[in-house]
Amino acid sequence: MKTQILKIKTYDDHKLWNKLKAGDEKSFSLLFEKYYGDLINYGNSFSPFAEKVQDCVQDVFADIWLYRESLQEPDVVKAYLLSSVRKRIARLYERDHIFRKITTTDSIEFLLDFSVEHELIADEATAESVLYLNKLLNDLPARQKEALFLRYNQGLNIEQIAEMLDVNYQSASNLLHRGLLTLRKEWKGSFSILVLLSSGVF
Amino acid sequence: MQKRNYYIEIEDFLSDESFRNWILTKVDEHGWEEWTLENQQRAKMVENARLLLLAMKVPHNKISSSELTTALQSTWIKIEEKENSNNTTKHSPVKYLRQYWFGVAATLFFAFLSVWFYHDQFNLSHSVVTYKELIEDNNEGLVEQTNNSNKPQIITLSDGSSVLLQPNSKLSYPKIFTGNERKVYLSGEGFFEISKNPQKPFLVYANEIITKVVGTSFRVRAYSDQPNVEVLVRTGKVKVSSNELIGNSKKEIVLLPNEALRFLRKDLIFNKITNITEDKILVGSVGSIEQLSFEFTDIPVRKIFKTIEQAYLVEIDFPEDKLKDCYLTTSLSDQPLSEKLKIICKSIGNETSFEMNGNQIVITSEGCN
Repeated sequence: MKTQILKIKTYDDHKLWNKLKAGDEKSFSLLFEKYYGDLINYGNSFSPFAEKVQDCVQDVFADIWLYRESLQEPDVVKAYLLSSVRKRIARLYERDHIFRKITTTDSIEFLLDFSVEHELIADEATAESVLYLNKLLNDLPARQKEALFLRYNQGLNIEQIAEMLDVNYQSASNLLHRGLLTLRKEWKGSFSILVLLSSGVF
Repeated sequence: MQKRNYYIEIEDFLSDESFRNWILTKVDEHGWEEWTLENQQRAKMVENARLLLLAMKVPHNKISSSELTTALQSTWIKIEEKENSNNTTKHSPVKYLRQYWFGVAATLFFAFLSVWFYHDQFNLSHSVVTYKELIEDNNEGLVEQTNNSNKPQIITLSDGSSVLLQPNSKLSYPKIFTGNERKVYLSGEGFFEISKNPQKPFLVYANEIITKVVGTSFRVRAYSDQPNVEVLVRTGKVKVSSNELIGNSKKEIVLLPNEALRFLRKDLIFNKITNITEDKILVGSVGSIEQLSFEFTDIPVRKIFKTIEQAYLVEIDFPEDKLKDCYLTTSLSDQPLSEKLKIICKSIGNETSFEMNGNQIVITSEGCN
């Protein structure tokens, strides 16, 4: 069932992509409307300069339209868009010194902090452990955080994440695994008790 | 479906979209709750996954639809800009000028002496389409210009096309033309000079009819309180069709220079007029711009500017001293105002440029080559 849902989604994106390639403006607009918000949010996680991020995202779409005829069809349109936005911000970051906040040369850094789903938490015990987890998550190295974000918030697979972060499959998988491993280690002691306490929820 | 029975890590749950939906939106499509309660071990794992998901919320700033529209619009502007910067590097000025000589031939054609009537009754229920309906139908965010003065007013569009709008007339147009078509909406009367762009046809919506061109000059008279809509062609080729709002029968009529068309709004009939000089109403309606010649042979620049001032009712400010010995031979009949100025400036010399501000035009020049 789950795979079926996924299929419909990718089919739609591919249909839009192909119509866009053929010069259909409506499809371009639809794709834009569908992903603009996500891309802005992702872009904002690298830079505090919202306007520059908007510029980058819009440039990505502008280039897609302008070079639509020569573009390869991506496996997953969303992954392609996320990756394009990331690349463009990285390029801007390298070029533009004003844009640069920290002086690391390596690459752009994922600055986003995960937050807590307060509306979905009914009892105090859960709230406590979620807050604790949230702190652990946000203390992870930026790249691990980004990998987790791409995997679980954006639904990309490991292969796509590897491509985006410009590492091989194994490294991407390690990033994810190490992130969760750290969490689990830190959890261990306090956690099982919490689980018992809150299992009444189900 | 029961692959979840083999889930052994929190990761397995986190990557399951249906699981995430259950936790985050409380939509339990696949009986997660029941499944979880089936065994203790499972419940523990599910709870861990749940807590992690709850701790992983991503701040999602919802983007309002107006923000989205603005963003989309500025993206189209970016596209336009990038397209233009690509084009200008491609065309050399020489090629530019030569291209324009072709248009001249068409404009010099004169009259066939026949009038024939085109009867085409629409079989569908007919209705009257007004400017207001046309505008409401469009959601691109149009700019509207109304001419309440007693003389024609020049409007320059983002593609360089110019429209000489008659008194008591209105034109609605997008600030920037985006996409594959250039659409404007007219109520009243205007003389259009369209910059050539075969990739992006130019469409004038006026009452019940649509006039489609790629680059040419023509006049459209479409007052909402008058029984007819008229289209009169000066240069190039124009296609006129009825707006689909009044029926499906999509008849297209082609007009050549000095041909005209009268659309009888009550009967939804197109009358094609192949000799405009024989039609008294049309002869009376021809404006000064159509009568002026823009074919210049060894003419002082000063005089050319004078002609433009008369035709477009603009004021041109230029360094008379520096340009007093400059003569030009050029054909500008087929060009919108901004193109005319561009060609003149290019012909005078590299140091020459113009600036347009409403009906004020300023030419800066260091003299001619």
